[in-house]
Amino acid sequence: MWIKWLGAVLILAAALMWGNLQAAKLRARVRELEEFRLALRLLAAEIGYTATPLPRALEQVGKRLGNQGVQAFLAAVRQQLQDPQTADASTAWLAAVHSVKPLLCLTPEDWAVVARASAGLGGLGRDDQLKQLAAAETQLAAQAVEAAALCASNEKMWRYLGALSGLTVVILLL
Amino acid sequence: MKDENWQEQILPLLPPQLRAIFTSLPAALAASLEEIRLRAGQPLMVQSGRGEVWLGLAGPVTALGESCRITAADLQHILLQMTEYSLYARDEELKRGYLALPGGHRAGFAGRVVMEGNQVKLLRDINALNIRIARQFKGAALKILPHVYCDKTQRVRHTLLVSAPQAGKTTMLRDLARLLANGDQQKGRPGFKVGIVDERSELAGCFRGEPQLDVGVRSDILDGCTKAEGMMMLVRSMSPQVIVTDELGRAEDARAVEEAVNTGASILATAHGQNARELIRRPSLAYLLENGLFERVIVLSRRHGPGTVEDIYTGHSLQEWLRAGRECNVD
Repeated sequence: MWIKWLGAVLILAAALMWGNLQAAKLRARVRELEEFRLALRLLAAEIGYTATPLPRALEQVGKRLGNQGVQAFLAAVRQQLQDPQTADASTAWLAAVHSVKPLLCLTPEDWAVVARASAGLGGLGRDDQLKQLAAAETQLAAQAVEAAALCASNEKMWRYLGALSGLTVVILLL
Repeated sequence: MKDENWQEQILPLLPPQLRAIFTSLPAALAASLEEIRLRAGQPLMVQSGRGEVWLGLAGPVTALGESCRITAADLQHILLQMTEYSLYARDEELKRGYLALPGGHRAGFAGRVVMEGNQVKLLRDINALNIRIARQFKGAALKILPHVYCDKTQRVRHTLLVSAPQAGKTTMLRDLARLLANGDQQKGRPGFKVGIVDERSELAGCFRGEPQLDVGVRSDILDGCTKAEGMMMLVRSMSPQVIVTDELGRAEDARAVEEAVNTGASILATAHGQNARELIRRPSLAYLLENGLFERVIVLSRRHGPGTVEDIYTGHSLQEWLRAGRECNVD
């Protein structure tokens, strides 16, 4: 009999974890989008105030971010830029999107917005570069608002769903 | 001065194919290289002390057909490498048509110019690139130093170095700045506080603020600043005894030189021109020369290599030289 109860507890715990994981992904997506927005704002500050070249600007921005995933993304762009075969900064940015995608909780739509931030990167004059980054940041902000709304409405649902699905399975098995 | 050679500083900026060509360049040619000229769709050409040389994949060639053709993609690659993939970081320099490179070298560009009003907003679609190899010849100015520095009064005379392009004006001026800033204890020549206005980063070759060429221990460098504004800034803030600047020519330059002279600083400058006739056709230079603001005019040429001193004019001979130039212009 105790094996049955042990199995039920394990099933319930696994279901709760699955629900919490889905809820955590929703929260992480919002955090990551906000962190990308911050990264673009900091990058714009590096470009606007000190005209720091991209490799050093990305390094500086990376140091000031809290999210390891976004830090990894900026490091990947920087690494691409150190390769003399890289055609331009836009190519480096898109390659980093491809390599870091599995590490973050962003949706394909979010990545499309992040990828669009590469347009003209490093290939424009200072004023135009700042306008381009501001436009990308605005798009990310809209994406972050949508992600936050989704998180607020669905976070609890995923937790309950995890608990309830676990209970359902346990009841059915018992 | 950085002691790396130009190949270590320039080659990493080139696409692999061009890098291979320059890596296997004959040592004598590499040592005398002055310019690397790259034009989209045109053969690869370098300028050495002995003249133009076409380069093919295996080195110098005599037939144009055998030379390596430069593509627009090659130029774009080099531009991105030179700017670290960040055109915005160097857009002020690019607007003026050049970039300062590590080691004091410079790259000049030609391409499509986007104007905004009367100002250059952007240089894009680069179609030609000229990499000028910076070479410092320490001691090059020793032969003219006695004409510039007066032992008796221990002062530096207001001096203008004149020549056609690529005759060694800037090299000579840089060495004069170095010699005057360092002084010479053995010969009893004091070191002067030298203020350098380096509008196009040619004199000190500053890269990220650090001079790449030796301009002496008492030199203060205003890099990337217009000559007129820079001379006044130096006078206000650095109390220079000698002000050094390259390529005078605009009206505001003449006013600034006049102002600086009145503060007691000595002026060492250069101007493009081969003779008095060419110089006094330019109103600002004519004004400075006619009013006796320069005590010495030293004419240089490439006749026996860059930095050949053709003539040194002073006092009466200077007046005669200017008069002859005026008469030529009237004719």
